Amino acid sequence: MSIFEYNGSAVVAMVGKNCFAIASDRRLGVQLQTIATDFQRVFKIHDKLYIGLSGLATDAQTLHQRLVFRHKLYQLREERDMKPQTFASLVSALLYEKRFGPYFCQPVIAGLGDDNEPFICTMDCLGAKELAKDFVVSGTSSESLYGACESMYKPNMEPEELFETISQALNSSVDRDCLAGWGGYVLIVTPTEVKEHVIKGRMD
Amino acid sequence: MAMMKLDMSALETNFAAPAIDDCDGTYFSADAADVPSMVFPTCADFDGFQAATKDMVKNKKGTTTLAFIFDKGVIVAADSRASMGGYISSQTVRKIIEINPYMLGTMAGGAADCQFWHRNLGNKCRLHELSNKRRISIAGASKLLANILYSYRGMGLSIGTMIAGWDEKGPGLYYVDSEGARLVGNRFSVGSGSLYAYGILDEGYRFNMSIEEAGELARQAIYGATFRDAASGGCVSVYHVGPDGWKKLSGDDVGELHYHYYPVQKTPVEQEMTDAPSTSA
Repeated sequence: MSIFEYNGSAVVAMVGKNCFAIASDRRLGVQLQTIATDFQRVFKIHDKLYIGLSGLATDAQTLHQRLVFRHKLYQLREERDMKPQTFASLVSALLYEKRFGPYFCQPVIAGLGDDNEPFICTMDCLGAKELAKDFVVSGTSSESLYGACESMYKPNMEPEELFETISQALNSSVDRDCLAGWGGYVLIVTPTEVKEHVIKGRMD
Repeated sequence: MAMMKLDMSALETNFAAPAIDDCDGTYFSADAADVPSMVFPTCADFDGFQAATKDMVKNKKGTTTLAFIFDKGVIVAADSRASMGGYISSQTVRKIIEINPYMLGTMAGGAADCQFWHRNLGNKCRLHELSNKRRISIAGASKLLANILYSYRGMGLSIGTMIAGWDEKGPGLYYVDSEGARLVGNRFSVGSGSLYAYGILDEGYRFNMSIEEAGELARQAIYGATFRDAASGGCVSVYHVGPDGWKKLSGDDVGELHYHYYPVQKTPVEQEMTDAPSTSA
């Protein structure tokens, strides 16, 4: 098994009407053995910017710590929060710095811009940005996630419908993956509120 | 008094003779070794080809099966997941194979290997019954399978099976694998999730149990293995073999079984926001 499949992960983000959703599975494993079923993979940068990190769990935690550090410095200097597009460029640069010894992570970035326009993007482990208008996926279940999102996604969904769609897409995809699953964690972010949900899934 | 000789002719295997007429000396001729044989491929590098095939079919036994003997017979249980690396190819595989109405075999390893050789074993057991007018013992059936698998040792078969049943001597349980091992015992678990299942099985096992208790123990052991092992999951099937043959006790989906054992607790509300009482203007 490759290094990206050592811990197992699934992360997905979707765009709705003036809102976005970001979701991940909750399993932390060591190859085939499941160690924890409450592992956090989606991290907050500021109220309207979240990053989900799939791949090697230790790199996900380290990268998150470095990004929080960089964002806090930015806040001190600029006296405001980072825009999602700027943050995506920051992550891309940070990953490419390690071009010849990379972090084994594939980030998914989701945020609301200045005009509350939702922004999502994903990157490979070397920082190649891929912007999308509808959904982005990463992790060991990415192929299943692509299929599920492609068939379930509709543009301009309201937050409640977006929550249903992303939860179903996540659950049905991780049910075809040995290494991801064991519950789900979904965040719905609108300009006025943030709702987090822990969803029931198959625990096998 | 003449010695009665058991008629063994029905137990000879006769697969097609190897179609290697132009034997170039790199592999043995089947006639000389008196070994049951299937057709060998014609290729320049036979050993290399065999090694490549072995790697291709390597399944690493991603599964959990278990069986144990207790005072009322044998319990056999298994999960139902088939995985190819990280991908789940099926959640509904039947891993408990019904060899005949009083004998069960479990599947771990290569699915095709297990299905074929168990069916072949069923044929041999039936032929034995017809030739000798009595059922074959579990010891005999497992020995037949073990001998066949030993003769294919090193050729890449992947089988880790348990033969369980009830014969004249009572309940019988044997572990047979593709390396040629044949072990008699009271409790076995086979597969990648077997260590997790052993933890629960060994803790709860007693010889004197009711059939329901024994079935529940097997169900919990397989459930525990599906929770911790990524390559096990789907449904738990539990069978019981008694003096009248086997009977399926239950088939439960593991996803639902988890919430049956650990129902979702409603988190207690510490503080609740309510609307302020409206004041009339």
